Parts: sequence; C-alpha cells; structure tokens
Amino acid sequence: MPMVKMKCDESIPERDKHIYQTEADKSIIPSCNIATLPGDMTERGCAFAGARGVIGGPISDIIAMVHAPVGCAWYTWGTRRHLSDLYPWALPGRLANAAFNRRYCVVTDMQEKDVVFGGMKKLEKSCLEAIRLFPEAKGLIIFTTCTTGLIGDDVQAVARQIEQKTGLLTFTAESPGCSGVSQSKGHHDFNTQFYRQVHALRERRPELKMRGEEKTPYDVCLIGDYNMDWDLKVVKPLFEKIGVRIVAVFSGNERIENLVKMPDVRLNVVHCQRSAEYIAEMEQDGYAIPFIRCSLYGIHQTSKALRETAAFFGLQERAEQVIAEELARVEKSLAFYREKLQGKRVAIYVGGPRVWHWIKLMEELGMTVVAGACTFAHADDYAKINARAQAGMLVIDAPNEFEIEEMLLETKPDLFLTGLKEKYLGRKMGIPTVNSHSYEKGPYAGFAGMINFARDLYQGIYAPVWRFQWGINTVRGEENAVE
Amino acid sequence: MRLNEIPVEGIPYDQLKIEKIPCAPAYAERAPELVSAGSRTVVVNPNRTCMPLGAMWAVLGVHGAIPFVQGAQGCATYVRYTFCRVFKEPATIATASFHEDAAVFGGRRNLVEGLRNLVVRYHPEVIGVVTTCSSEIIGDDMVSFIKLARAQLRQEIGPEQADRIEIVLVNTPSFAGSHLEGYDRASRAFVENMATVRDKPNGKVNIIPGLLYPGDIREIKHLLRHMGVEGIVLFDISDPLDAPLRPPQKFPYEPPGGTPAEQIRDMANSLATFALLPHAGQAGARYLERKYGVRAVVGPPPVGVQGTDQFLRTLSAVTGQPVPESLLDERGRLIDSLADTFHHTMMKKVAVMGDPDVVLGVTRFALEMGLEPVALAGGTASKTFTRDMSVILKEAGFTGDPLLLNGGDLFEFEEYLKKLPRLDLIIGNSKAVDIAKELQVPLVRTGFPVYDRFGYQKRAVVGYRGGEILLTEIVNSILGYQYPDDRTHQL
Ligand code: SF4
Repeated sequence: MPMVKMKCDESIPERDKHIYQTEADKSIIPSCNIATLPGDMTERGCAFAGARGVIGGPISDIIAMVHAPVGCAWYTWGTRRHLSDLYPWALPGRLANAAFNRRYCVVTDMQEKDVVFGGMKKLEKSCLEAIRLFPEAKGLIIFTTCTTGLIGDDVQAVARQIEQKTGLLTFTAESPGCSGVSQSKGHHDFNTQFYRQVHALRERRPELKMRGEEKTPYDVCLIGDYNMDWDLKVVKPLFEKIGVRIVAVFSGNERIENLVKMPDVRLNVVHCQRSAEYIAEMEQDGYAIPFIRCSLYGIHQTSKALRETAAFFGLQERAEQVIAEELARVEKSLAFYREKLQGKRVAIYVGGPRVWHWIKLMEELGMTVVAGACTFAHADDYAKINARAQAGMLVIDAPNEFEIEEMLLETKPDLFLTGLKEKYLGRKMGIPTVNSHSYEKGPYAGFAGMINFARDLYQGIYAPVWRFQWGINTVRGEENAVE
Repeated sequence: MRLNEIPVEGIPYDQLKIEKIPCAPAYAERAPELVSAGSRTVVVNPNRTCMPLGAMWAVLGVHGAIPFVQGAQGCATYVRYTFCRVFKEPATIATASFHEDAAVFGGRRNLVEGLRNLVVRYHPEVIGVVTTCSSEIIGDDMVSFIKLARAQLRQEIGPEQADRIEIVLVNTPSFAGSHLEGYDRASRAFVENMATVRDKPNGKVNIIPGLLYPGDIREIKHLLRHMGVEGIVLFDISDPLDAPLRPPQKFPYEPPGGTPAEQIRDMANSLATFALLPHAGQAGARYLERKYGVRAVVGPPPVGVQGTDQFLRTLSAVTGQPVPESLLDERGRLIDSLADTFHHTMMKKVAVMGDPDVVLGVTRFALEMGLEPVALAGGTASKTFTRDMSVILKEAGFTGDPLLLNGGDLFEFEEYLKKLPRLDLIIGNSKAVDIAKELQVPLVRTGFPVYDRFGYQKRAVVGYRGGEILLTEIVNSILGYQYPDDRTHQL
C-alpha cells in the first residue's frame, strides 16, 4: 500500500493522493503543486511570500517597495533570517543595528480611496521619495500583492518611468498572494521576471555587463542560497579555496549590480533547486551557461558539490585538499554527535527541498528520517526524496496541521525539524523541535555548519525539560526522554 | 579568524565574525523635507499592521473557536507566524486558500467548501469568518455565502449540529484600518451576533481587554476576584495563547480556555462593559450600551496608579463592591516602589511608541514616575489620541513639549529621536529595537508585538502589580545602562 490514508482525512479524501510511503522501487510521486483544499488548515503561504520573502528579501542593496496595504509589508519586515553585511549609517560614525535589507520596511500603504481610484500615482510618488530617502540603494524592486494585483495597477509602466527619471535600476516582481497555489509560484514569478528584466536591462545598458578583462575562467554563480543565518560565511570560502570565483549569489547577501552580471559566468551551481533552478535553466537556454545541482548540507553532499564544481574547471586536486582540511576540522566534534544521535528517528517538515537535502545528513549522524513533509514541493522534489529515502518513510505533500499531528503521533519521532508555525505544536505534544526554516543557531550549511546543526539536534533531543513533562510523579531517565 | 577545529559547541555567534560594510562612505542626514510622514506618500517602518490580524486575535480568545480567513493563504499564514513569534504557542487558523479562480469568480466555493472541511474535521463551536483585502475587492457576498455554507452543513451533519455552530462574520478589508480596528470590529460582530437577549441581569461586568497579553488578562481577573466581581472577558486569550505543556494532547490540538460561547450570549445581561483599550473594543461596548443599555466604560487603560485607580473606582461604582484592603495593599506596594525609585526615574527623557492606547497608558504611568516624555508615537491614527494625551500631560503638570505622532511611522519617530540632545529610554515594542540599540538607550518592551525576547506576553503591565513589574524593568534598565557598577551598591 504505497498511498497512505490518514485517519484525519477520512472526510476529505481529496487529500489521499498527497500522502504515501516510500517503497523500494521508488516510483511513487504524489499529487503535488496543486490547489489547496480550502479550510483544511494548510500551512502554505502566498506567492508574494515566495517572491518578496524568499528571493527578493535577501538582496542587500535594493529598496523593496511593497505596493500594498501595510500588512503585506509589515509581515515580511525582518522576519526570515536572510542576513546581510551591508549596513546603513545610523548616526555619524555608527552603523545601523540591522543590515539595509532588514532595517527598513517600505510600503505604499494602500488605502480605500487608492483601491477605488488606482494606486499608480501613489506608487510612483512613493518610489521617488524612497529613492531620495535612501540614496545608498543601488536598485529598487516593486512587489505587488493581492490588492494591487486585483485592481490591476500597471507597475511595469511605473518602473520604467522611475528608471527614466532617476537612472536607478528598477525591477518589478508581480506575484500577488492569490496567484498560484503556494509560495512556489512566487519563486517562479521572481525567477522569470527577473531574468527577463535583467536581459532587457543588459541590452539597454551594456555597460552593466561584466567587462572582458574583469572575467576569469573560474567564474561561477551560486544560485538558490539565501544566506540563512550566515550560511554563506561557511559556504563561500569553500568554493574560493578550490579556486573558483563566486561572482554572484542568487540572492543571499547579494548586491544588485552583481546579480545583473549573472549571465557573465561560466557555470551555475544550484543549491535550492525548487526556488531557483528556473533561472539556471533560463540561463542555460539563453546564455548557454551550464549548471550543476548540488546540496551544501552534510559532509558527503558538500564534498560532492565541491568535487563536481572542481571537476568542471579541472581543479580536482585542490578540491580534495580542501575537503581533507575541512574534514579534519570537524572530525572530533562530529564523532561526539554521531555517538549521541545514533539510532534516533526524525521527522522533517519544510518548504520543499530540505527534506531531501537532509536525509543524507541525518544518515551521516546515524539518524533515520521516518517522515517528511513539504509545503510546496513539485514532482522533481519527490523524485529526489525517493532516490535518497529508505523504504517505509511517510511522505506528505502540502500537509495541513491535523496531518502533521497525526504524522507525529503515528511515527513517534525523537525529534521534529520544522518551521516556526509548527514547532510549537510539536512541543505541545512533548516532541522536541528544531527550527528548520531560519535555523535555531546557524549556520547549518557546509562542514562547519554541520556541527552547529548536529549541536542543535542534540540539544533538542537531550534537553532536560523532556524528562519532566510527564507529570508530577514521573520524572524519566534520559534513555526514554521521548516516548 | 579561522578555527582550526570546530568545537562541540559549534561556532558561537560571537565567533562568527561578520565584517559590516557601510552602504555609503559616511553618515548623511535623510532628506529633511521627507522625514515627517505627513510630508510624503511612502510609509517607512509602519507602526501598525493590518486589520485581519486583530480579528484573528479576537477569535482565538473564544473557547472552541477557529478563525477562517476568507482570502489568499498569506493573510492567514503570516498572522499565524506573527502569533507564534509573539506567544511561542501554536495558532490554529484556517484559510479559504484563494487562488486565481477565486480572484476571477469570487470566493463562494472557497467559503462553502472551506467551512465544510473545517467543520467535519475540527468540530469548532464557533467560527470567526475574517475577510481580507482580496475578498473585499472581489466583492464576495459573505452573508449569503455563509447562509449557503450553513445550508450545506445542515445536510451533511444534520440541522441540529449545524445550527449549534456559531458563525460570526467580521469584515476586515486590510486597506481600511489597522489591526486595532480589526479587533474592534470583531468585538462588535461577536456581541451583535451572540449577545442577542437581555433577560436576566447577571450582576457581572464585561471586560473587552483589547490587544493585551495573557499576563495582563490574568491580572485583570485577579483584580476582579479581589473585588468580588464576576466578569466576562471577551476575548480571553490568556489560556489559549499561554497553554501549559502537558502531554498527551487532544487531537487535533485544541488550546485550553477562551471565552465560552454561553458567556458571550450573556453579555447583554451585564452591569457594564469595560473596553480597557478603547481603540480595540469600544465598538462592542458601545453597541451593547446602545442596544441594551449596558453601560459602556471606555478606557482609560488600567496602567499605573491613576489608570488602575480609575478602573477600580468605576468598577466599584458599577457593582457597589468596595475596593478591598488586599488591593489597597497592592496599591500601597506600587506607591512604595515609586517612592523607592524616583531618584532614578525623575527627569529622565523617555520616548514611547506602539498602539495609541498603550502609549497613553504607559505615558501616564511614566509621568507618575517623574519621567519626561520627549516623543510619543501612536501607530494607528486616531481622533482622540492627541486630545487624550494633552489631558494626561496637563494632569501631570508636565510643561515640556513632546513630539506627538498620531499615526505616522517609525521612520519619522526615529529621525526625531536622533536629533534630540538627550534620550534615556524607549518604551515600546520589538519594532523599536534597532533604534534603541543605535541610540544606545535601553528599550523597555511592552505592547504588541514583542518577539525578540522571551516572556513578555506572560507578564502583566496592567493593575498595581503589573505597574510594579513595568516599573522594575524601567528602573533596572536605567541602572544597567547608565550607572557605573560601583555606584549601585547602595541604591
Ligand atoms: S494580502 Fe495577499 S499578498 Fe498580502 S499577505 Fe495576504 S495573501 Fe499575501
């Protein structure tokens, strides 16, 4: 019985086709990336979240102009932990407390009358003012949301005017919350629209391209890394040490000027293959830039990523050296965690690809993934899960809250890796959780990050609190800290 | 810096050296003609969020109730996310999951199917249907959609069960007001739908707390208990959003507590309704007064000495119960604390930001400590804020001329603070943390939202005891920031 029927879904059989158990032949792909059942208590977010929160948010030196009522902007202000090192000044001689991309929340604040009469004037004025207020910004991206998408403001026209009037690189990301079925639509929209706009921009202003003499034969672009909790701080040096140059990261802590140079590289290395492979594919078609897929989580996968990148440039030897060095740095601590985590069972609920990114990593620590769920994964994500998972793992596409509870109840994991919304639910059931969305205390990527990750998993499982949760008469020993 | 070996503790934050790169060569003033929010169109760093959040907050305070958000998924998901960040608790909120088809054809199918799917799996006693900008723009006819949904439910689960479910509609087009307005509208919608009979006086008082935290609501209940007064707290989030960890849980998770439906139905029988934070709750109170003659007591926030005094005096007048010794002792302890600390607080310059009622309540208390307000920013524009604030300043005999922001945004607030010759303290929510750190003054956290520290939602600032907690925090922040250690051996 490959497809799984959950008890909580008895009255909504539409959900059955989304839930399965992995099998030896690895052939099952659930229904995915389709409309959410209204009222099923979904965990999904909106397309705008995908465009503004995930991809637009990490860009370090642009004004993110949210053309919307105040809420859409307020909710995406400094929430995801996509950090940056580019800081505005707070006072003479003192930099701000947060990087530019998280310090300011800029919004047109649509009011009733704007909804009735249209918001383009307001948008144009807002953009011009914001550009004067923030002369340090090197670009501006206009994001539409439900309100402005529905009233049909022509934001592209406004963007053209702004660029003409100010010369500032101006982009649009039209991905209102009610388009598509999840955040994934927003990723896709941002990728395609940004690619097209960069393409047109380079035609219009060829001086923005990388000049011939600036190029090196080892130029790459790292696509689909958003610098969660400074992942890039551990990831970038690895690539640099093997001798490649990262010209741009799409889009973690990246400057807009470098993003415009994306088509000038020799190779794209794609980390998040759900939210950003689109742009790699378009660059392959449009600029004949090949791409490789990789995962930068865990020892094995990170090594593999370095090896494959190196192989493309003939830098294998240096890659081996770097890998050996890095391994030596983490060996001892890793051994400690392997011993502590051996045999533990985990459930993972994430947006999409991290389930498959982390199956191998958990194995490296001696743990098994007993259940995995993805908010917005597509068929290729499930194929990747199947390729990596042991048979018998429970997989849920676009789970709702009730299913997550049943999943935890049925599979009884020792630990639940999940985002912020669901982690408190897991805890109420007495199951330790680790924030797999913005991390507990990252970075988690690469070799060094793996120790942080293992530490947080360990802290989750071994926290003393779990021994006290069963009531006044039953303080339990460590061995059955989790029932 | 590069560690040769990564220790078991991993890379602690202080070891992960990030070199901060300035955006510009040097500090330059922000265009002065655009600093004031009134002189520009764009909003930078809003001091408020949108209407549906307030309505969802309210619904979560009703026992067995689930909010159902008629709109696209983000509006529900972002609010859940916000509640989780603030309360560190699960927040169960359903969404109609609008996709393109809803944007084109309207949200009827989403509502009818959505309510059905919610009811057959979660069996809520109450559903608060909360609209959004999308459903309002599309023009969903919610009343008839809900009728249709109920008709279908009657067929599927039987009329008796279906009719037992209260479905309360709260219209909250986000572009028409802030989160406070959303809560305010919910207060009216709930009493209008559920408190429909005035038959037997119940001798109770209604309390509509507004966006106060669980700790505050518990403190209000404590005051009522000592007064010997029975109260109906609408919307009582104190247990739902501060629930104990005591597995095993029920499946699906159902938070404890919340205002029981029968209590809401009884609200027209009460002696009076206290809307503690007027901008979030007076609509409900005034409705009950107009329709059933239940006296509405709107504000002031029961914060500090006079705020709490006034609350208890009115409560006493309404119920005939005297203020007991036990509360007079609590008052005495707060007075004692003020007497013990004024040397540290007087003449210190304070800025307060947040929701207007929070700013009003806290500023009044700050004046009681002898703090001197220099900037007061109420995030939601209000007809009464400026007037009420001048009354408070006058009552305290304060002759300074603080900046009053009625609405506006935090950009204006912070740019003003930067120019001040001196500032000692900011009182406000987590959205002020950057500015406090940059100005190197302490931030005393209170109001919504506080997400960057632990535990504030569990503590009270209302009542005399809450006053002591807030005072303690203020005094210790000043001591910690401004006093050299060897001056604190004798305070
Ligand atoms: S209004 Fe639309 S875009 Fe904004 S948060 Fe809600 S769903 Fe997302």
